[in-house]
Amino acid sequence: MSVETSRTAMTGQFTSAARPRKRRTLSQARDSGKWLRFVVIFVIAAIVLVPIVAVVLLSLQPSLGSTANGITLENFGKIFTETSVGTWLMNSLGVAVVTVLVAVIVAAPAGYVLSRGRSKLVSGYSLVLFVVQSLPVVTSVIPLFILFAKVGLVDNLAGVTIIYVGSTMSVAIWMMAAYFDSIPITLEEAAWMDGCSVFGSFARIVLRNSLPGVLSTAIFAFLLAWNDYLVAVVFLRSDQNYTLQIGLQTFFQQNQTNWGLVMAVAVVMMLPPVILFAALNKYFSVGGIGGSLAGR
Amino acid sequence: MMTESVIGSLKKARNGVGNAGSGRPPGDRGRKRRLSQSRTFTLFVLPSLILLVLLNLYPVIYAGQQSLRNGDLLSAGNFVGLNNYVSTLQSPAFWHAAAFTLTFTLVGVFGSWALGLGLALLLRTRIPAGGIFKVLLLLPWVVPVVVSATSWNWLVATPQSPLPILAQALGLGNVLFLANPFLAQVTVCVFKVWISFPFMMMMMSSALASVDVNVYEASKVDGATAFQTFGRITLPMISRSTYISWILMTIFCVNDFPSIFLLTGGGPVNSTQTLVVLAYSTVFQNFQTGPGVAIAFMMTIVLVIIATLLYRQIRKVNIE
Repeated sequence: MSVETSRTAMTGQFTSAARPRKRRTLSQARDSGKWLRFVVIFVIAAIVLVPIVAVVLLSLQPSLGSTANGITLENFGKIFTETSVGTWLMNSLGVAVVTVLVAVIVAAPAGYVLSRGRSKLVSGYSLVLFVVQSLPVVTSVIPLFILFAKVGLVDNLAGVTIIYVGSTMSVAIWMMAAYFDSIPITLEEAAWMDGCSVFGSFARIVLRNSLPGVLSTAIFAFLLAWNDYLVAVVFLRSDQNYTLQIGLQTFFQQNQTNWGLVMAVAVVMMLPPVILFAALNKYFSVGGIGGSLAGR
Repeated sequence: MMTESVIGSLKKARNGVGNAGSGRPPGDRGRKRRLSQSRTFTLFVLPSLILLVLLNLYPVIYAGQQSLRNGDLLSAGNFVGLNNYVSTLQSPAFWHAAAFTLTFTLVGVFGSWALGLGLALLLRTRIPAGGIFKVLLLLPWVVPVVVSATSWNWLVATPQSPLPILAQALGLGNVLFLANPFLAQVTVCVFKVWISFPFMMMMMSSALASVDVNVYEASKVDGATAFQTFGRITLPMISRSTYISWILMTIFCVNDFPSIFLLTGGGPVNSTQTLVVLAYSTVFQNFQTGPGVAIAFMMTIVLVIIATLLYRQIRKVNIE
């Protein structure tokens, strides 16, 4: 992979800079079928989005035993006052934010070494990361459960956070390394000539120019922690320690038919990723691919 | 991009150079600088190395030992050799789960690929509100899986759900999507395609973006049909990304726990049980660590073999 390809792939999932000019001739020729294709894609999108639209619409309907009519926000009031959704939300946010911070802080320097190092050891390390990444989570959850049970980290948010940090690590390092590759080493060499230390050049030159890379990694780590189900369902046992994933699942089991309330919880749960997606679309595509790499 | 970087870096790793390229050896200022650099590098790598050993390497080794013992979650148990593997291989439940894992993966990979590629091809042309569709169509993949599963439950789970009612109205009788073993399998597979196709759409969109449009003009001049253009030009030119996306999606499908567990829990009568779900229930519901880990291990080995085969395919494409 050359630096250029990683760069274009990073910035141009959908918006390749070179495309529009060349494309015009192609699309002019095809203009006649424009509306036909619009209809096709509109129908597909409409079908595909039914489950998501349903969540939003149902959350705005009056729930069972409610006196309200038409569209109402009372479900959201109810879930926050009558259930532990507030606690679950704070748990999920806390776990995700700590995961992001630790993952970025640990992965950035390691990614730098992977990007700049030239020894056999470094390339060996990157191979180890790749192998580690392809192991299924179930395999490591079992021993970690036994280990954590001994030290009191089962049913403990800290325990879950530690596992999330571990499972983000290899992809996070890869992502950081890939971004650092796009920053020319000549800048650092100049700094070294002026007597700057390796750490100094890393902090002042490389990190400073890596905001997109750091953001993508952060989004990836956030999504992994936010969307995980398997680790949470194994490790979290009591209501006050649930993350939203488990909270929504148990709440759904207890209120099977009260869709208004269930879907209100679902909306609370899907809002952060959707907002992130809307705000940071560009970085999302990069981070998102990494995110699904960790196994959906 | 991840995939690009993973494959590219692997290649470099094989050649024994770091990601910054082979470059010239660190300047004449030489040894002192290099020594301090290697010390800093060690410090940089150390935290991540400790975490990896503790949270990834140790569990795998421990699990490897457990797969040779008859312990449970609380005790280590006695050494039983390869008994767990033998008994697992002899159990019909294992082979049933393996078969459904295969179906689930094949449908998941090729279903989402076909849909994703089709949408990517459509979105490549100019369409009114195309940008909005690009964003909206990614939503199934952005929304957390528990939310999607809840919503699908609302759609299909009970006879009073919208889809069964619709089926009734169409004269199909009483369709129980999650209670009939075959229909439950279909539902789970469709669900997997639904949550995965946006990923494929993204991969294929970026692959298509790199295809030179002039080739199409040329083929049109030569009188190629649309079908020929697709089969002989578009597909070969995106084959590398296609193989990469197949590898990744295979890994996602085989390792996918929540999609199935949340929709059907592996039922009815174990019809939708995949190897991951079987491993989970063996350990955390039947408390047999040994067989559970053995299942997970064998699954991983097959997965690695498949990934390696596809990876070779990528290298072949690269050479061409």
